[in-house]
Amino acid sequence: MGRSYFVDEAVEEYLVGIQTAPGSCVTGLLAGQSSPQRDFVVLAVQTPHRESEGQPKASRGVSPLDDIDVEWVTEHAKQVSRMLPGGLCILGLFLVTPPELSKDAQNALKRLIFAMDKYITKGRLWELSEEDVTDQVTLHICSKTKKTVCKTFDVKDPKSSAKPADWKYQTGVSSSWPMLSCSVAVDVQIPMTGSSSDITDKCMKDGLRRWAKQIEAACCLINGRHALDDSELVSGQKKNPKTTHRQTLPARIFVSDAELDERSSALVQLCSGSVKVRGVVHCRAYIHNNKPKARHAAQAIKRDIINTVCSRVEMFLEDLLINEGSHKGLCSGQQALPRRVFAPVPVSGLSVCDYMFPDESTADVAERLKEMLDCKTPEEDIDTSLEGNQLFSNVCGSEITESPSDDSSKHVFSEVQTENPKNQKAPQYYAGVAITAAVALLATATSLLYFNE
Amino acid sequence: MVYSEECDFIFRLKGILEFACQLDNPNGVQSQSTISKSFQDLRSKVTSKNIVFTVCNSPVLIWPNTGFQSSVESLTEASACGDILQWIESDDGGSKKSSKKKDKKKSGPTVVNMKLLFEVTEPAGNTAPSLIRVSTQQHCVKMPLPLDCALSVTTDERLETVCTGLVEALNKQLADMEEVVLQYRKGSSFLVPQPFHFQLPEPAGLITVVYPAGVPDSQLQAVREDLHRKFELPCDRPYLRRANAFHFPDAAYKDGYLRNPHIHLNPPNIEDAKLYLVQGVYSYHHYMQDHVDDNGWGCAYRSLQTICSWFQQQGYVETAVPTHTQIQQALVDVGDKEPRFVGSRQWIGSIEVQAVLNQLLGVTSKIMFVSQGSELATKGRELANHFQTEGTPVMIGGGVLAHTILGVVWSENTGQIRFLILDPHYTGGEDLQTITDKGWCGWKGPEFWDQNAYYNLCLPQRPKSI
Repeated sequence: MGRSYFVDEAVEEYLVGIQTAPGSCVTGLLAGQSSPQRDFVVLAVQTPHRESEGQPKASRGVSPLDDIDVEWVTEHAKQVSRMLPGGLCILGLFLVTPPELSKDAQNALKRLIFAMDKYITKGRLWELSEEDVTDQVTLHICSKTKKTVCKTFDVKDPKSSAKPADWKYQTGVSSSWPMLSCSVAVDVQIPMTGSSSDITDKCMKDGLRRWAKQIEAACCLINGRHALDDSELVSGQKKNPKTTHRQTLPARIFVSDAELDERSSALVQLCSGSVKVRGVVHCRAYIHNNKPKARHAAQAIKRDIINTVCSRVEMFLEDLLINEGSHKGLCSGQQALPRRVFAPVPVSGLSVCDYMFPDESTADVAERLKEMLDCKTPEEDIDTSLEGNQLFSNVCGSEITESPSDDSSKHVFSEVQTENPKNQKAPQYYAGVAITAAVALLATATSLLYFNE
Repeated sequence: MVYSEECDFIFRLKGILEFACQLDNPNGVQSQSTISKSFQDLRSKVTSKNIVFTVCNSPVLIWPNTGFQSSVESLTEASACGDILQWIESDDGGSKKSSKKKDKKKSGPTVVNMKLLFEVTEPAGNTAPSLIRVSTQQHCVKMPLPLDCALSVTTDERLETVCTGLVEALNKQLADMEEVVLQYRKGSSFLVPQPFHFQLPEPAGLITVVYPAGVPDSQLQAVREDLHRKFELPCDRPYLRRANAFHFPDAAYKDGYLRNPHIHLNPPNIEDAKLYLVQGVYSYHHYMQDHVDDNGWGCAYRSLQTICSWFQQQGYVETAVPTHTQIQQALVDVGDKEPRFVGSRQWIGSIEVQAVLNQLLGVTSKIMFVSQGSELATKGRELANHFQTEGTPVMIGGGVLAHTILGVVWSENTGQIRFLILDPHYTGGEDLQTITDKGWCGWKGPEFWDQNAYYNLCLPQRPKSI
């Protein structure tokens, strides 16, 4: 009894339309949502062409399969997974090969799928629950006959073998999927016990992980109702394939401030400083409409909240390192984290997201969407309005210019124009195409694995 | 354990607020104002629109600071607080309204448990996310504050009033906690402030006191003296030691012993007689408990344990109830027994009970001697006086048996008397039904005693302390 994958017709079109040079292979990602009973695939993206620096590598192996750049495939997967809102994730890989390589394709796919899962899940701040599906799908396509072979691997078990799975095409797989959304105020204080980048990374990770646990344990209301137990998500919408209206369900999250431990005294640490992550993030998650449980929906939006904060901090630190080169780490004062923007994917209408650094524009986002997700999105469709671009003022300890000194404005989110960023000792933000950035990142990847265990 | 007749409900709100602050110099003069500022921020948090009360075991969420909103349409500003019960699922399934079995006696107020949460969605502004770094060397202090507020109310009190009252209580508790934290702080060493609830005689009712964790009751004498004055409490018996903390009716006792099984009994109906009962709380100790097989020889030890449990729970001592071995060792230590007594199965009597109470608990006792069991019927006045003034359980030994007397029903005019007996010879489990039905805790007449044997009674005296 294998898994069943319900795949959108748009994905079929995409896969059929992939051009391969004779004798060569094409890899790519499959994205969608898993549920205990069945899986849904809504997006396929082929691995973008890598602009190699310097000399092109000579073929190492006997067959083009050996030439598959595993690092590059997994890096692409990681970038794409950051662009998927809650509920959606990378479900597996596809591989297009000429007929003569079909025999060995399975091995290649197995290697790739395990490597990819390992790389994507590194640094994740939330744990898989027992109900989470740990199977990833591998799809092999013969470039000549277009015949597909679909198998799954349980990526939590290194010894697992390929299991057969069903691959069925359907129209409008996700057209009626409700979308949960919310804006979340984040305010995490993280003490730093040292200033080297290793220690900074560890402290950030520990601090964010504590916060992530609060979010995971939080009480959640979806569309005004508790997301408890085994109750079904009531979206109030009849399942009608003809309806293209997608319902938006507001989510509300309520946290308990901290965990009580049985100590009788406070925890005091001597720190060389502290970092605060502060601001409002916009979050989205999709949930399938095949009798979903409310708590799975709650889990999806919570994971999106955690992922979006974690991703941006990671991106910020990666960017700092590429730029600065040295291990100066974070400097004092306030620095903006990348802002989340959303864009619709053609046909399915699901949104994907991207992160814009302060000196970037929608043109940069559009370029990244083309490179990473292979989709052309007009710039005007990119929604930048969901997150603000005005920074919080009244920063303690650093130079403040004209902040009001009266105590009446205790409320945290006072909006102050900071068009003129004289408060910030901002480093030069990296501007440019995502691919080149990713290549540069890989070049330094050996020593700079952030959030490494 | 007498509840105010008016109080139908206790709304209890618990939650954790993290106290955090950064001190440049813990011993400097600035640190106090930094700490106070952090508490001020917490108080603002509690009065903000983001706080939410969630009612445990129910889908009800209440926003108390937004002009009262709830997640359930039928609960509005005007709702009486009793209306909340229909939404709460009790542990045995079904709503409270349909609970079938009523206790024999009034079971006390209903406790509604609530939890304090903060909403992180629907933020007031839309500030962009940023990292703010401070690079000065600091002491980072983090301490979870265990907030616990309780309000006693009648059933027709409005829910909105209850919630406003709880928000005020949170504010006050934070102010109390700030005081305690500042008072007991030494440099960068902070003690966690812990709230305790106490049921005081009317008009004070249910109050909450914050004590610093880790500081024993013996060192908090001055604090208690102040409070005794403030609440006009008698100065010779404890009301505010940690052991005196109010036991919420819905909470189980972690140690598994039954408390005050006698309250489930109806006293005998004797004309012209008055009821004189043990005061406060004791645990029922009997044969075979704690994996000790003392069947046939341990009855006086068990009665002694019951008495020790009384002194512990009324806050007079902090030591745990002694084991058989510890009791025997105490007798060896005072020179009453030879060392080989320890580990033996020898009986003890009232005199030994008196000696152990003195040695281990510092408690003195009076001994009453009765030359024959039939005489006990004439001791009504003495026993009535004892229960009125001291109110401690009485150990009685004679013949071949030891028992505990928990009270009498006695008529001054007719001399009729009944004895409330707690029998340590019970070998079963902590089954209240069996214990009361079969008379292991029950009212007995004068014929209960061996009419010809002589008896000694040990009447423990309350120490005069608070």
